Amino acid sequence: MATTTPDILSVPQPAPQKTAAAKREYPGALVVVEGIDGSGKSTQLYLLKRWLEIGGYRIHFTEWNSSPLVKSATRRGKQRRLLTPTTFSMLHAADFADRCERQILPLLHGGYLVLADRYIYTAFARDAARGCSPHWLRNLYSFAPVPDITFYFRAPLDVAVNRIVAGRPKLKYYEAGMDLGISLDRAESFRIFQERILSNYDQMIETDHFVLMDGTVRVNKLQKLMRQLLGERVDLRQFAPKKK
Amino acid sequence: MKPPRAQSKPDVPPNGRPSKHAKKSKNGHANGAARFYGIPMPGVRTEDLSGSLIVVEGTDGSGRSTQISLLTEWLESEGFAVQTMGLRRSFLVGEDIDALLAENAVTRMTLALMYGTDFFDQLERRILPALRSGLIVLADRYIFTLIARAAVRGIGRDYLHGIYEIALRPNLTFWLNVRPEVAFDREFKKSQTISYWESGRDMSLSNDLFQSFIRYQSMIKREFEYLSKRHGFIELDGEGSVSEVNRVLRRRIASHLGIRSTHYKPSHALAHLWR
Repeated sequence: MATTTPDILSVPQPAPQKTAAAKREYPGALVVVEGIDGSGKSTQLYLLKRWLEIGGYRIHFTEWNSSPLVKSATRRGKQRRLLTPTTFSMLHAADFADRCERQILPLLHGGYLVLADRYIYTAFARDAARGCSPHWLRNLYSFAPVPDITFYFRAPLDVAVNRIVAGRPKLKYYEAGMDLGISLDRAESFRIFQERILSNYDQMIETDHFVLMDGTVRVNKLQKLMRQLLGERVDLRQFAPKKK
Repeated sequence: MKPPRAQSKPDVPPNGRPSKHAKKSKNGHANGAARFYGIPMPGVRTEDLSGSLIVVEGTDGSGRSTQISLLTEWLESEGFAVQTMGLRRSFLVGEDIDALLAENAVTRMTLALMYGTDFFDQLERRILPALRSGLIVLADRYIFTLIARAAVRGIGRDYLHGIYEIALRPNLTFWLNVRPEVAFDREFKKSQTISYWESGRDMSLSNDLFQSFIRYQSMIKREFEYLSKRHGFIELDGEGSVSEVNRVLRRRIASHLGIRSTHYKPSHALAHLWR
């Protein structure tokens, strides 16, 4: 075997699930983290990314809402508060489509391990909380490749909300769900909005095979578990640097 | 000014005005929801849509814009207030789509969804408020062009219909059908060239611009034939003279709105369109 794994990986490497591999039509793999704001998902994915980067793996990191193509429209819509639940959802779908067609899919076909900080489940949970029909949302994003593993970071609502509110001087209008008219108080609106999103996420645990991660566990302990679970689901050797 | 009166016709969708006899649709919405293809957009009031949505569809060079200018003048002279809509006219993303097209670095799904965003922004901010105020909305293209363009680029028809199932169903949809060769002559005469997108050059159909245009527009036309059956378009021969086509349009619209006279002669400002 020409490939190896870095020695920080101290867990056994069972063979990847044949069923998952057979369904894929590309050699790459897609790893997704999901969860409400403040659940710890970004920290954990960052640590996972650093571990793989240091090991020299073929990886690419992608974030929700980062495409330059639709950035100006999103900014204009948000600044002037022009977005409705439908246009908010459509604009984010366009943004995702751009990333999907120009980054995620080519990289998966090119044999990369793609790490996604938030994925279509963010839209399912958040846009449904805004009133979009779940059926309509599922169709809208049906072009997206299915992840090999989706880590769902779950923290109690109070823990997550306090992490965000403490670290931010002011919650943004759409971020706080102010467009829903739930409450005139931003912190209160944010809390209720996040509660709805959390409930929508919980409903996807089974239907979308989320791997539940307890966001209250110590960071390094949780990271160790994440690496182990990833290794069980994805054959990391195929992304490892080739040794001659 | 009297608000426009919409007549109930068996072949015309219900106009959404509250009526004691109106049936409830299967998802339990009041009859306003019947004006939508499926469940209406979230946060949108579907009652009180007393105006009419009239769509004019057709490929490039089918004479849509000319007909809409003339119809606007005719309806206004009959005392009806008119609001228009068209592609890439939304405040939200209209200019962004122009920029994407200019760069032509955009992929098909992104473009399809940006056009969708543009459409829904206009629907929510322009069309629905106008219909609530009893206006006549004349749409220069509607979801059908968006579906046809995306479908010929390989995006699934069911997927596209799924996106637009939350959209408003027009009261009347006209299709100005012209052969691609005729459309080519007209477009070329208009701008002395054929644009990148109207000849579908992103699809690599042919290096020859004429061939590319004909092939692309033929594909679009086939999609329209399918859409026409599915959505009950009123198909018109777009190759007729402007005045002939306009007469047929006026007759159908007059019958829908309950206008008695269909007499119309364009004003001096629009006389140059009258051929």
